[in-house]
Amino acid sequence: MTTSPQQPPGLTRRDFLSAGAKLGAAILAAPYIVRAAAPQEAGDTINVGLIGCGEEGRVLLSAALKIPNIRFVAVCDIWPYNRGYGERLLKKFGHDPKPYEDYREMLSDIPGIDAVIVATPDFMHAEHTNASLRAGKHVYCEKLISNTVEGARSMVATARATGRFLQIGHQRRSNPRYVYAHDRLLGQAHILGRITAADAQWNRAVTEDLGCPAHQEIPEAILHKYGYANMHEFRNWRWFRKYSGGVISDLGAHQIDIFNWMLGANPRSVLAGGGRDYYTNHEWYDNVTAIYEFPTKTGIVRAVYQVETTTSAGGGYHEYIMGDEGALKISENPKYTRLYREARAPEWDKWVSDGLIIRPGTGEGALPPVKPWEKPRPKLSMVSKSDSTVDVRETAELSAWDMPVVLDKAIHQPHLENFFDAMRGKGSLHSPGEVGFATAVTVLKVNDAVAARKMLMFAPEDFTA
Amino acid sequence: MLRLLTAIIALASVCAVRAEEMVPLKLDLPKPLFVGTPRPIKVSNLEPAQVGTPPPFMVPAGTVLLSLNKPATSSDSSPVIGELTCVTDGDKSGIEGSYVELGPGVQWVQVDLGAPARLAAIAVWHFHAEARVYHAVVVQLSNDPDFKAAVTTVFNNDDTNADGLGKGSDYAYVETYRGRVIDAKGVTARYVRLYSDGNTSDELNHYTEVEVYGRPVN
Repeated sequence: MTTSPQQPPGLTRRDFLSAGAKLGAAILAAPYIVRAAAPQEAGDTINVGLIGCGEEGRVLLSAALKIPNIRFVAVCDIWPYNRGYGERLLKKFGHDPKPYEDYREMLSDIPGIDAVIVATPDFMHAEHTNASLRAGKHVYCEKLISNTVEGARSMVATARATGRFLQIGHQRRSNPRYVYAHDRLLGQAHILGRITAADAQWNRAVTEDLGCPAHQEIPEAILHKYGYANMHEFRNWRWFRKYSGGVISDLGAHQIDIFNWMLGANPRSVLAGGGRDYYTNHEWYDNVTAIYEFPTKTGIVRAVYQVETTTSAGGGYHEYIMGDEGALKISENPKYTRLYREARAPEWDKWVSDGLIIRPGTGEGALPPVKPWEKPRPKLSMVSKSDSTVDVRETAELSAWDMPVVLDKAIHQPHLENFFDAMRGKGSLHSPGEVGFATAVTVLKVNDAVAARKMLMFAPEDFTA
Repeated sequence: MLRLLTAIIALASVCAVRAEEMVPLKLDLPKPLFVGTPRPIKVSNLEPAQVGTPPPFMVPAGTVLLSLNKPATSSDSSPVIGELTCVTDGDKSGIEGSYVELGPGVQWVQVDLGAPARLAAIAVWHFHAEARVYHAVVVQLSNDPDFKAAVTTVFNNDDTNADGLGKGSDYAYVETYRGRVIDAKGVTARYVRLYSDGNTSDELNHYTEVEVYGRPVN
């Protein structure tokens, strides 16, 4: 079955013509030829090039290798260490990629590339994505779509002008548990009642800066050619303003994107605090806390986001959507995922009998049963062993419930599958450029708010690319 | 009569072993290195979480590190990244450049001590920059470089027989900077071979360092 690639969401004929006119000169000036649209048939092998073979690139490689009918034909990285790593890794799995230092050479040298995965530092996303789109490739680009709103806007415009798919790597949007929570629990059942608050966190312990393996330094001239000041900044680009949006982008983007998605709204304001208080040799903040106001259909929701890079305390990484009848705590790690019922909510037995949720104590992430040789686990008691007791009767303890959905794949795999499926005409992108753009606007304003030390407002049109 | 004599000799040997002075094995541990956020781990035979410092591993007095800079070979002679020299080079830091990454599926590395030795312990660090579990870890000892004759298995957590060496009942474990110390049970051997079958993060096999402790056989 031959199908045409779907038009990205929000693309109108006027948008197409407008963006196309702006980009026409650039496309004509591109050193490589834009191919005609190349519809993929359902079983066709998709030829893929990877730009950026660092840690995230290899994570995506590992996930993509499990998807049928995907062939990596090229890898590109300015660092020979990473490039060789990616090349040899793929060869272990039967691929035969051609290695490149310069993405322009890759795009012009292998016209048969159908899709490009961009996993480079954020400041290069726009350049790599726009060039790939103009060369006729569909693009999966890691989040944050770009470290600047302007860069993100250019990527959406190029995707529209070229009619190619642009998927941004907010992979939770393809995680079946997140999709289930969004579509079924919140969208259909409204199981949480009226959503009134949200919070999310991602706290990581102190880590040392990344070094360079012996004898693997990139010559300074090469680093400068590609925009890096030195090897230390190349290896630790996430901490420097030129290359990245900082921790609120690196970690927060994934979860703040969940605020926008689950709440079905963009925020109208953000208040934030943060600082470079621990790592004196970095430029970006090492801790940020933000408070958003979301004007949702059912009322205002305040959402708090915290990211720390000096402590792993706080109970893992998760997003918490709270309503007047229940709350959803969800994470890529299933052990942090739970539904909590407010005592005032109608009984959830109906949802259990409907198969929407499952009773506490079962499901993915539940505690394993006690083994015969293990001591029974102590029950949590609200009563102190001392003579004095603390009265905790203010509110009833929430009961925990589970979702009947599991993810038995690498966490990035479903999002890549969604990208390749869309190329084959099967479904639409879960995180197209427009979504990535709105998330970038939401995220990057936090840094402005930290610097301004005051609440900043969003206008609705800010979120439209 | 012969049986009785043999039994007496064996008993005397055991008593001699028991009489040996035992001392804690001193490991030079690298810095803790967990980077990033741990990925979910689902393993059927995972050992219960350990809290606090593990008790010292006792070895006979006079036990020394035998494996430093000794040659290592592998089922994968063309690693994805790193060199096989990483296995015994003494660098346990775990950072990029300190480990060798072998291909997918069942793979092994083998350390040649150069001569048979009475082995007390084997310490292994697969990859400790992330909390992950290596599947089907089996450690064998032999004087046969091909591991076809007189093979002693001293660790086996391969509960599905993925390696084809028989099922084992040892626990799977989460990698940390402490590595894993395996009891070599005083076996005399020249070669140490370690198997694995990928890990909970990917299908690949890594070795940051293998240390073999024992006493030379004179």
